[in-house]
Amino acid sequence: MSHTLNHSDPNHVAQQYSSTQGIQHEEPLLFEYHHDAPESIQLPGVEGALSADLTRFSRSTPANIPSLSEPETVRHFVRMSQWNHGIETGFYPLGSCTMKYNPRVNEKVANLPGLAHIHPDQPEDSVQGVLKLLYETQGWLGEIVGLPYVTLQPAAGAHGELTGLMMIRACLDARGEHQRRTVLVPDSAHGTNPASAALCGMHTIELKSGADGRIDLDELKAHLNHETAALMMTNPNTAGAFESDVKEICQLVHDAGGLVYGDGANLNALVGVARPGDMGIDCLHINVHKTFSTPHGGGGPGAGPVAVNATLKDYLPVPHIVKDADAYHLKTCSDTSIGSVLGSIGQSGVLIRANAYIAAYGRQNLHKIAEDAVLNANYVLHRLKDAYHVPFDGICKHECLLTDAIQNKHGIKTLDIAKRLIDLGFHPMTIYFPLIVHGAMLIEPTETESRATLDSFCDAMLEIATQCQAGETELLHQAPVKPFRRRLDETQAARKPVLAWPT
Amino acid sequence: MRFLPHTDSDRSAMLDAIGVSGMRELFVDIPAEFHIEKGSLALADALSEAGIVRKFSKAAEKNRNATNSCYFLGGGTYHHFVPAVVDYVISRGEFLTAYTPYQPEIAQGTLQALFEFQTMITRLTGMDVSNASMYEAATATAEAALMARRVSRKTKVVMAGSVNPRYRSVTANYLSRLDGQYVDVDMGCFGTDLDKVIAAIDEHTACVIVQYPDFYGSVYDLAPLRVACDAAKCLMVVAFSDVSAFALIEPPGAMGADITVGSGQSLGIPMAFGGPHLGLFSCKQKYVRQMPGRVCGLTTDADGKRGFVLTLSTREQHIRREKATSNICTNQGLMCTAAATYLALMGDTGLATVAHHSAAALQSLLSQLPAHITTTAGAHYNETILSFSDQSGRDRFLAAAQAKNMFAGIPLEKIDPKADPSHLLVTTTEMIEAEDIKDYITLLEATK
Repeated sequence: MSHTLNHSDPNHVAQQYSSTQGIQHEEPLLFEYHHDAPESIQLPGVEGALSADLTRFSRSTPANIPSLSEPETVRHFVRMSQWNHGIETGFYPLGSCTMKYNPRVNEKVANLPGLAHIHPDQPEDSVQGVLKLLYETQGWLGEIVGLPYVTLQPAAGAHGELTGLMMIRACLDARGEHQRRTVLVPDSAHGTNPASAALCGMHTIELKSGADGRIDLDELKAHLNHETAALMMTNPNTAGAFESDVKEICQLVHDAGGLVYGDGANLNALVGVARPGDMGIDCLHINVHKTFSTPHGGGGPGAGPVAVNATLKDYLPVPHIVKDADAYHLKTCSDTSIGSVLGSIGQSGVLIRANAYIAAYGRQNLHKIAEDAVLNANYVLHRLKDAYHVPFDGICKHECLLTDAIQNKHGIKTLDIAKRLIDLGFHPMTIYFPLIVHGAMLIEPTETESRATLDSFCDAMLEIATQCQAGETELLHQAPVKPFRRRLDETQAARKPVLAWPT
Repeated sequence: MRFLPHTDSDRSAMLDAIGVSGMRELFVDIPAEFHIEKGSLALADALSEAGIVRKFSKAAEKNRNATNSCYFLGGGTYHHFVPAVVDYVISRGEFLTAYTPYQPEIAQGTLQALFEFQTMITRLTGMDVSNASMYEAATATAEAALMARRVSRKTKVVMAGSVNPRYRSVTANYLSRLDGQYVDVDMGCFGTDLDKVIAAIDEHTACVIVQYPDFYGSVYDLAPLRVACDAAKCLMVVAFSDVSAFALIEPPGAMGADITVGSGQSLGIPMAFGGPHLGLFSCKQKYVRQMPGRVCGLTTDADGKRGFVLTLSTREQHIRREKATSNICTNQGLMCTAAATYLALMGDTGLATVAHHSAAALQSLLSQLPAHITTTAGAHYNETILSFSDQSGRDRFLAAAQAKNMFAGIPLEKIDPKADPSHLLVTTTEMIEAEDIKDYITLLEATK
């Protein structure tokens, strides 16, 4: 890799990374533009000398932030954007990620100056409009999941998990049950579940899934005792299957004195059709960047509001939005609250996009989200089930799980299948998760894909299976060959990490 | 429904292909008692796109905002100028609607932007490495305390009372369920008394957390703290809330910080009523394997071409589960792209102008204060406390200012509940003009 860091000939490096492949352009790093800074952007404000008190602390060497003219900056980032695949570019069937279309009107309204350019500490009477939207969002989310008390504060799903577990712990402590510090987590759970439990000062016990990929009641019973704080369950689970025993599961946990935490990452299968709160779940986080269509942004921002039932409502974080008569307020203190988990009331800009999304479907249409999402996943499962190994039988919910067991016989792994899909024009599915099957491929089409798109994806998957069968494996091992970059060396990146460009 | 591509005949054909009689059959695994009647939820009626625009425009009109009012508000969130290019770049669908770059071959745009972001954050803060974001400053501060505990294998955390009360409260909350002592050192003044902070350090101390410039805007020398941390073998964590300061004053890295955390909201990200903002996290190279969060690294592809990947993932929850350095998964990715775009547009010169104007506006304001307002001496960046003789005097001024479309500051007790309600946290940025300061002083005199 040494050549990538060779500064001796900057012009050579710049040249190497400013060539083109047709109209797909290479683009150097910002730090490889070797020209003097152009005239700076014009800025408003107050000029004038600064006091010696302050200049005593003046920065001794400049930060060396490169400066590009405005047209160069736009071109730099637009070219880079063109190396990316997004849901607006094409199909993005990442299991457990719910990559659905992000309505453009949501972007438009969230960027209105009266919503984007407001300060969190303005007087309440000057922000009644946004408080009303957020209060309404709180209420709607609670209604949709059947858990009426909602905090908007958590910034993402994992943050919601931590917040929910903090509330559960506070509730158990209030019952005098300080010994309840064990969290049961199925082996199919997202990695955030045990990580959040650890951060909450609890220890986890992993529950081995049953032969059908679901929670095994005997395994659960064997681990429930006076130290059980909670079960964290994802329903539908990460194998795409509904935990049909949910009522009995919740009952068992409650009878043992524990509470049930719901990981809402897979809520898209249930929205408008069934409610976790009705099934016995006590506490659920909602990934609004999944179910409620707010854009993933290349990794975030998201929002992870948490909805709870009456058992946990006294422990909600502050601040919390309340309404009296016709005005909205931020309630900032409460004796029983777990306190604050974020420095603000939440990711307001994300949450109001979710409000716009729920408003677009409305009471009349919300169930169509889950219906079409489940329809699409089952359609894909149906079309692929003969060519790929299906580890668990039966209908699926919003995502379907396959493995590479058949292709493995030809020396082809899940990773090869994923990379070959890129050459065929599709973002791969989630791979090697859940961990309960070998070579997992978790496909979540979402409701916003047309039948034609699903068919062309399935055709591509079938073509790959046929190629494996025919022993045309070189194509798969080499893939991808078409995108901007081919397989990247992750071992090299981790062995001697280069995380910043040298000055 | 306009977001759904299927026609009813598509649905029928697909159900036939699957071999089920109807949509209901796809949900038979959900016990019947839990099925809810379609349309029975207590939600609003569906809105057309025009209806949504109308609803949100009406809500937006009820909020005073920075396009029609003058903002002297800070305390962790700042009204800096956001160039149009930043909004444009992050609204590109390829950045906006991509997932976390788990398939690097088709996510090089996001990844190169993250690498550029990380590089520029290290340069601005004077640190070796930066991660690819935390949620925001308060949780980033909590994560720094947790990281320092892992690095030092000690558990006591010393927090200066001049750190933003919200960062303190979230950090105390995170630590309260774990073993170890948390000490919040009362400053007894609107500034940072390093002697008091240093006095709280002992052999069990994992880290000391200070803010620089502190919550009250004070700029001070961190050298004595570095010496004390070395003596006690604990980590020096420096928090900040307006990163634009480091285009003007010595950054935390130059002052010896081991970890720096804070808000990057000032880098082209709107205030947005509390979020989404940007949590910054950087540290010394030797601690990188204990750092929380995602990080992007340089590598090469199968053809030897330069490329970028998410790396050091064995620290993270999806691999390490309960032993991960953090539970963070979704972060503030898009805000990193916003910040990288902003920084490239500004360059050293533009950033220096932002910082200079932000500080000059405060000095201009302070130089004209009427006699009935008191303030603290010493170096300040762009925030300070104005003290009134009593709460009613302060609130009279605030109300008069608001009537003139000016938010003149944050009542201190709003962020720090223990504070006496006669103080005002006042903040300036480059968006404050000389005329605004004149109006401010006039109103102060008029409401004496």
